[in-house]
Parts: sequence; C-alpha cells; structure tokens
Amino acid sequence: MLVVNNLTKKYGKFTAVNNLTFKVDEGSIFGFVGPNGAGKTSTLKVLATLLKPTSGRAWIAGEEVTEHPERIRRLVGYMPDFFGVYDDLKVDEYLDFYAASYRIPADYRKNIINDLLELVDLAHKKAAYVDTLSRGMKQRLCLARCLVHEPALLILDEPASGLDPRARVEIREILRELKAMGKTIIVSSHILHELSEICTHMGIIEAGEMVITGTVDEIMNQSRVGDSIEIRVLSKAEEALSLIQGSGLNGIITGDNVLQVAFEGTEEAQSNLLAGLVQNDIPVSSFAASKSNLEEIFMRVTKGVVR
Amino acid sequence: MQRFILNPILSKEFRSRMRSWKSPLVISLYLGTLALITIAYYWVKQKNMMYSGFGPNVGPEIYVVLTVFQLLLVSFVTPAFTAGVINGERERQTFDLLTCTPLSATAIVLNKLFASISYIFLLIIASLPAFGVVYFFGGVLLSEIVQVFIIYLVTALTFGTIGIFCSAIFKRTQVSMVVSYLIVFIFLIGTLLVTVFLQGMHSGAYPVGQRTVPLIIYLNPLIALFSIFPAYGIPYFVSDIIQQIFYRNGMAAAGIQTIAPWQYNFIINGIIVIILLVATIILIDPVGRFSRFKSKRAKQEQKVEDSKDEQVEISG
Repeated sequence: MLVVNNLTKKYGKFTAVNNLTFKVDEGSIFGFVGPNGAGKTSTLKVLATLLKPTSGRAWIAGEEVTEHPERIRRLVGYMPDFFGVYDDLKVDEYLDFYAASYRIPADYRKNIINDLLELVDLAHKKAAYVDTLSRGMKQRLCLARCLVHEPALLILDEPASGLDPRARVEIREILRELKAMGKTIIVSSHILHELSEICTHMGIIEAGEMVITGTVDEIMNQSRVGDSIEIRVLSKAEEALSLIQGSGLNGIITGDNVLQVAFEGTEEAQSNLLAGLVQNDIPVSSFAASKSNLEEIFMRVTKGVVR
Repeated sequence: MQRFILNPILSKEFRSRMRSWKSPLVISLYLGTLALITIAYYWVKQKNMMYSGFGPNVGPEIYVVLTVFQLLLVSFVTPAFTAGVINGERERQTFDLLTCTPLSATAIVLNKLFASISYIFLLIIASLPAFGVVYFFGGVLLSEIVQVFIIYLVTALTFGTIGIFCSAIFKRTQVSMVVSYLIVFIFLIGTLLVTVFLQGMHSGAYPVGQRTVPLIIYLNPLIALFSIFPAYGIPYFVSDIIQQIFYRNGMAAAGIQTIAPWQYNFIINGIIVIILLVATIILIDPVGRFSRFKSKRAKQEQKVEDSKDEQVEISG
C-alpha cells in the first residue's frame, strides 16, 4: 500500500528526514513513533502531498506522491496534528464541504455524512455549529472528514494529542473500528501503549532516521534485553545486593532502598530468590517482576537526540 | 471551467459570509455612507445658493460625487475582504486540510477571489437606489452609469487580486492587510503625486498640449473614472485635477488620445491581475503542479537513483 524509499526532507541546512525507508502493507496499522522533532510530521506531510521531498520517493497504491498529487489526494485521508475547523459551519455542512471538494455527487453525500457521523458518534450533533463542539468532538469530526472520500490510506498525525483520557479512549475505539473495517492506517503518537494495543506494525524514528521497523512482536523481541525485578527493602539494601550478586544475578541499587535485578528465570526461580532474601533477614517490602514494554524499548533504541 | 468556478469553496464562502452579522452591518454602513454623502453634497450646494430649484447640473454633479466616493469605498473595502483569505486559512489551521483535497491551487485562489468580488458586487448593486437620486434630477445616461460600474468591477478585481497575493505571501493577516492598503494608497494617491511631480519637473520643456503623461497615472482608477464623466456635469475640483495632470481640459484628453485613459487602465490592470494570480497560485501550491518545470537534470538524477535502487533490490 505504501512504500517509502530513501526519503529526505531538508529545510535549508537542517535535515528533518534523512533517507527514510519503510513500507506499510495493505490492511495494517503502522504506528509511527518518535520523539518531538524526529521528523514524523514532515514525513506524513510529504505522504499527504503537502510537502515536497528534497530527495527520495514514496508510492501509495502504486502512485508516486510527487508525480501525481491529484491522484494521491483521492487515495489518502490526512489528519494533521494541529488543525482548525470552520466555526461558522454546521457539522453536516462541514463534512458536505469536504465531500464536495472530493467531487462526491450531491445525491450520495447525505448518506455518507450520516454514516460517518454515526461512526464517530456525532450523529446527535449534526445540526450543531462546529464551534460549539468540544475538542474531542472536533477531533472526531476531523477523523470523519478524513474518511469522507473512502480513502485507501489514512494518515493520522497525533490523532489523540491534547485530548483528555476519555476523548483518547473514544478516538482509540474509532481506530479499532477502522481496523476491523480493514483500513490501512499510518498513525503517529507519543502514547506508546495505546499504539501497541491497536498497531500491527511499528516504526521508531529518531533524528530523521528510522531506528527500527517491523511488526510489534518483532520489535519487542529484537529490542528485549531481559525482564527485570524491582525489589524494595526497608533497610540493608547493600546486603541484599551482595546476596543477589552472590547468586549469579546482575543488580543495581536504583534508589533509596530500591534494587533493580536483571532476571529471565521462571516464576519458581523468582520465588526462590525472594525466599533467599527473607531467610537472610532482609526486610523486603515489595518484590515485583516487570516485563519490557514499548516505552522501555523506545527508550533503549532511541538515544534521546534533541535537535 | 466548471471545476474552477462552481466549486464548494464558493458556496462555503457565500454561506459563511452571509450568515455572519457583519454582512448586513457592512452593507448598512456602506449604503448609509453613500446616502449621507449625497444628502450632504446637495445640502451644501443649496446652502451656498448655487441652486435655485433643480438646475441642469444638479444630476450630473451628484452623479460625479457619488461615483467618486463609491470608487473610494470600493477601494477601501476590497482589501478588507481579500487580504486575509489565504493567511486567514493558515492562521485558522484549515489550510492544510484544504490543500490536501483534490481542489487545485487555481480553483482555491479563483474561488476565494470570486467570493470576495461577488460580495463587493453585491455592495455596488445595493447602491443602485442611491444612483436613482441622480435619475430624479436627470442629466446622466444609463450607459454612463454602466461604464462606471465596469470600472468599479475592474478596480475591485485589481485590488482584490493584490489583496489575495499579499495574503499568500505574508504569513500574518495584519501584515498583508497593511501592505494591501499601502498598495491601494499608492494606486490612488501615489500615482497622482508622482505624476504631478514629474509634470512639474518638465513644465518648461514642452508647451501645454504637447506634454505627455507618465504611464503610471493610468494605474489610478480615479483617472479612468474621470475620463468617462459627462463633460457638462464635472464639478470644478474634478476638472481641475484632470487639467493639472493632462494639461488639457477634461474630456479633451480622452478625445485626443488614441486610447482613452480608462482603456489604458483596463489593459494595465488586466496585466497586473494575470501576473499576480499566477504568482499566488504558484505560492500556495504545496508540491506544485508546476513541478513540471523541474529541470531535466534533476529528473535524470532521480532516474539514476531509481535504477540504482532497483539493481540493489534485484541483487538482494
């Protein structure tokens, strides 16, 4: 569905996107992850035909983005990270305006608009002015706008940014529905655990370069350096550490009476470790195993480069 | 052609503009100002005992005063409606959403312009009852009023295009508004001052009647307007301005020249409109349908890159 090949975008001397290469298969949901200024928005804007790349190419459904921007615009539904709405229009008029912009015949528009408003749960606000909607509702309306011409690819740039937790959940639910409908979506976000729940594939970008890309499981496996156990003690942290190291495990004191122990054994081995500490009169107040999550992987694979 | 004119932008602009409370307010203020000027002029003339009843010059004089003030109003109103249409979309953060639709940059610019000009046309049409007063006194032909209205439209189109160009080139609406008004001021006053200055510099070189006027004066819509006034009804101050500029007496200037000042004005304005519209379209086109102008060399380099990539894929 989407192939990006050596895409580079420069603003003067500043390189926002540097030789980016990745692909998104049809029907998949690709999470585009990266710190602020990593080049996510520039990449998505190039794909939405809003920016011209300095070099490199990208194809959507076989069409090159810079050669046929008119065709690409019919294939893509784009939702920017920051967007405005025409406050002086009503909700249905707003969608009708964009539907007409995509040259959808007037006879079909009414049904399409009704269906989309049902999908984003705004049917009850159909006749309301757009400026009376909450931010979350406006975000959902913008999502409906992206779908008005039934695009083959949805490009969503931080669709949940600035939303309260409830509105975030609502957006996530809509994305799940779109996933069930078989839509191909590329979505950027900072909220990694949300992406891990809905994405099939993921790409982590830093300083304009793709650090890692693949299915979510592949990335989790490739980047896992081991699970860990966090142990809190009331006192004797040093003694606990020497006991742990004596049993052949790696551990460090990470805080006031808090130890982090690298551990990849079974639950029985965990139980034995805890029993060993207690038998040696270490006052353990907490003993918790933690698996690697997407945030940890993100922290590991990125270097925290700030540009 | 239909894809450029009957376009959702036009209907949206009409809907938004006419829905707002500002719209009837602007129309009321506009007509109120015109009516006030008409009444004030007639009252001053009556007060100075210039008229005893309805003299033959009353109609043409009121007509001239009305048309001049209407032209100034059109010049004043047009930038307000056009100097924020593109950067206003940027400030509202709706520009990206608009440009990622299949609407072409040409369609966006033309329809934004048409929507603004249509509103100004509505103001001009709404002012027709004021011109009815002129008919009450008589002395002006309908064809003369039609000519004046065409000058209004050309002026609105020119200043509208200048406004829309400024709105595309400047990021902030306030800046584009100020620059647009500055350019309108240069068209209306600057051209007059430059012409008078140049005429003054060469006053001794040629005898009156053989002096030519600088082309810049034809940018001025007032000159185009003055050149079509009925000779018998021109108030003293208007004929004096024309005489100052052309060193001839009023309408004689238009008669002697092969092309009348209003025709010069239309030609120059037409060129300006076309150049600025093309420039605006290029400015707002994000990836450029104008990328076809991309150099052959760049395209060849791209092809070489592509063939390298294909080779890598095959060998891989």
